[in-house]
Amino acid sequence: MESLSDTPWDVVIEGTGLQQSLLALALSRSNKKVLHVDQNEYYGSSEAAFSLQDVDEWVEKVNTFDTKSFRNAAIWKSPTEAGKLGVSRAYTLTLSPQIIYTKSKLLSQLVSSKVYKQLEFQAVGNWWIYDVSSVAALKRLPNGREDIFEDASIDNRSKRSLMKFLKFVVEYQNHGEIWEAVAENSFPAFLTSHFKLPESLQTVLVALTLSLDSPDDTPVGYALPRIQRHLSSIGLFGPGFGAVLPKWGGGAEIAQVACRAGAVGGGVYVLGTGIKSSQTNGEKTEVVLSNSETIVTKHLAHDPDNQRKPDTKAVSKVVAIVSSPFSTLFKSSVEGSPLAAVSFIVFPLRPSASKARLIRSTLWHTQAKRANVRQVNEQSLVSLDLAFHDEALEEVETKWNAIVESADEQKPFMQFEERTGMTDEDDDNENGY
Amino acid sequence: MASDESLPTLKILMIGPSGAGKSALLIRYCDDQFDSESSTATIGVDFKVKKLSVHGKAYRLNLLDTAGQERFRTLSNSYYRGAHGVILVYDISNRESFLAMERWFEEAESNAMPGAVMYLVGSKMDKSSGRTVKTEEGIELAERHGCQFCEVSSKTRDNVRKPFVEIVDAIVKDPKLLNASSRRSGTVSVAGGSSGDSGCAC
Repeated sequence: MESLSDTPWDVVIEGTGLQQSLLALALSRSNKKVLHVDQNEYYGSSEAAFSLQDVDEWVEKVNTFDTKSFRNAAIWKSPTEAGKLGVSRAYTLTLSPQIIYTKSKLLSQLVSSKVYKQLEFQAVGNWWIYDVSSVAALKRLPNGREDIFEDASIDNRSKRSLMKFLKFVVEYQNHGEIWEAVAENSFPAFLTSHFKLPESLQTVLVALTLSLDSPDDTPVGYALPRIQRHLSSIGLFGPGFGAVLPKWGGGAEIAQVACRAGAVGGGVYVLGTGIKSSQTNGEKTEVVLSNSETIVTKHLAHDPDNQRKPDTKAVSKVVAIVSSPFSTLFKSSVEGSPLAAVSFIVFPLRPSASKARLIRSTLWHTQAKRANVRQVNEQSLVSLDLAFHDEALEEVETKWNAIVESADEQKPFMQFEERTGMTDEDDDNENGY
Repeated sequence: MASDESLPTLKILMIGPSGAGKSALLIRYCDDQFDSESSTATIGVDFKVKKLSVHGKAYRLNLLDTAGQERFRTLSNSYYRGAHGVILVYDISNRESFLAMERWFEEAESNAMPGAVMYLVGSKMDKSSGRTVKTEEGIELAERHGCQFCEVSSKTRDNVRKPFVEIVDAIVKDPKLLNASSRRSGTVSVAGGSSGDSGCAC
């Protein structure tokens, strides 16, 4: 096996999370010699997805070594139910579940780069809210205007206010005079002062933002684009859903497929190998890998996971394998909509508990079996968002732009021809092999 | 020769250590070309498409090469998804490549879908003077993993069709495996208005 140091690399990319993998793919198709390394033995960095066995190993690793992205990982198996679990690889537990709104540029770029052909997508279905005002019950969020009109629990005056808000939010950019001055202010207060929406409906609208902060700490300027995205995504690719999730582990699956496409474009992949140190002298950067090999490259793209400040926001997550299929939660509410693979349940904070954290739970419909595995972790990441944010793609495009200098290498970002070799037919009439 | 999108599509993977002759076999079978100088791994396509008729019925084969990701053993789980068959290739003149096969079987068996057909190939049988792996050893290894086996030479064309015809034959005998690729119910199309989205299930 020839050694890595024999090649003069154009780019060394560290980490195989979604962003880094898309960057590697884009650069490999711009005639750059790409070396893509990851200190982990698996693809996906902090977006990785694991089988049950992999999860055991991961938990041990998080608790033994100081990883920048995760801490306090734990796993719990029900003593009575764990024996009923299926085989380890029948499960795919993802560290960073993220839905992708149908409006997201990520989907259009997966299509233009032909990467989507190796992926399967499932629909995100119902959104529920844990209704604290009545007897503990889950209430399905309205899926459109008709739903709102038919909802007997909303009085007519509130319905009119809600309609007025929805009309505003789909074109909020054109009405800067209404919200720009209060963009930093609390979103629920804005709904009260500008639209006279009752608290119960404010809770619903905050739920749609997927904000990880308490309602009062969720600013107007954050909420409006997210609610607009939610509403304008519904129905784009079919009735009854506005977001999708790649099958087999979300972002980790896209990362893997992008890495393979990058390898087809000539990129070289090494796992279990990180970057120990690097030193830039003029146009060349010397990189020492964790296996002590020294390589030379023109550009180095560090893993964003390793660049985070220690004081960034942390989120606790639980991934549970449950024994019920929860069919009611996934039941289609719109005729002709595909079977949903994801449902959201939002547990709103009581307004009085303003400093406590809003807790969200995502239910994963994959392979519900009679057992429990619990895994808790605290993660400090920019990509904590439960919905993929197009900003992540813009960062990739900016990095790509900075590395690709000449115009002939700079075709439109992430637009590639399909590379399939179509060949002659093979008939079994021929004799012999 | 144009691909007929309505044909049943079979996804078949090539795996095995670097330099075993996977790409050479694929290129000889698909394009009837052989380049003795070429030793680099990648053939630079996502997959090759070949139409093959077995017992009078036509199939569309999507043949995937490792794209060099076998070099540092970084093939991903997603490479194996939905594969109906896996062709494992070693070099009969390189004993190390044969000894590595146990690990490749292990990787394939743990990642491919249950029931996927494996097929063992000893390549470069033209190099008889440099042979370090006996034919019997190949047969024995294949038997141990319950799969078929043959030796091929991409240089002389000997047997190059055999692995493909026989693995397809084995795949289509198993209706459960054949139907496994049409399990796409519950998935949604993200290609919007763009055409040509119906075909590939790999």
